[in-house]
Amino acid sequence: MIQPQTHLNVADNSGARELMCIRVIGASNRRYAHIGDVIVAVIKEAVPNTPLERSEVIRAVIVRTRKELKRDNGMIIRSDDNAAVVIDQEGNPKGTQIFGAIARELRQLNLLK
Amino acid sequence: MRLEKCWFCSSTVYPGHGIQFVRNDAKIFCFCRSKCHKNFKMKRNPRKVKWTKAYRRLHGKDMTQDSTFEFERKRNRPERYDRNLAENTLKAIKKIDKIRSDRASDHIKNRLKTGKVQRQKEARKQLELGIHLVKAPLALAQDSSLCLPKIKVNVSQAQTEENQPMED
Repeated sequence: MIQPQTHLNVADNSGARELMCIRVIGASNRRYAHIGDVIVAVIKEAVPNTPLERSEVIRAVIVRTRKELKRDNGMIIRSDDNAAVVIDQEGNPKGTQIFGAIARELRQLNLLK
Repeated sequence: MRLEKCWFCSSTVYPGHGIQFVRNDAKIFCFCRSKCHKNFKMKRNPRKVKWTKAYRRLHGKDMTQDSTFEFERKRNRPERYDRNLAENTLKAIKKIDKIRSDRASDHIKNRLKTGKVQRQKEARKQLELGIHLVKAPLALAQDSSLCLPKIKVNVSQAQTEENQPMED
């Protein structure tokens, strides 16, 4: 349940460290974003000497949430933190590696794994 | 579909029950219900929490080593379907389960045996001391069947022989 002002960790090596969500992409008044949703975020903290800089507005896809993910087979999965992977306008990841566990729901997006 | 074991209490988690928690180092913890999940969040060690299987096995309350445990291993490779194999496996599961539970209950019975004997001894002693609370002393004297068996004391024959010359 990610909403604007939520801070998220970055789960890849794109150069950003921490993002703050600005907008949830989807409907006009969409409240929350879950795993697999795209958000617009601003970079709050970045690794020095990388293409991404602080206070840059980028898009990201959410890969881990503290809110539980419910599967059709009845399985409920919860993570330890909120994390996202930086993405470009087409939907391709900016980084080359992804850290941490990722839910199977993200398999249709072509994230390198 | 796979039946998991609860990380905290070691009971089986059936599909549709419980929560799986994925830690950031990708270790997965399955819980059977919110009780176990909340205990985990409180950072309690299952080996110290009395009602878990981990505690019971550690403190010898439950059976730990048995050949029936070896049948239940985590197998990651799926078997090709074979009707005979499936049928035999189902029969075997039932039988092994029965044997395992019988052995487990025997283990517990043996463990509790010494306590039972001790308690019976104590109860007998208590009855001896407190027989006056159970039956009035007068009733005991009148009706000998209510008494506890009398303790016999042997009187030596030498004493009676000495008495006889005195009477004459």
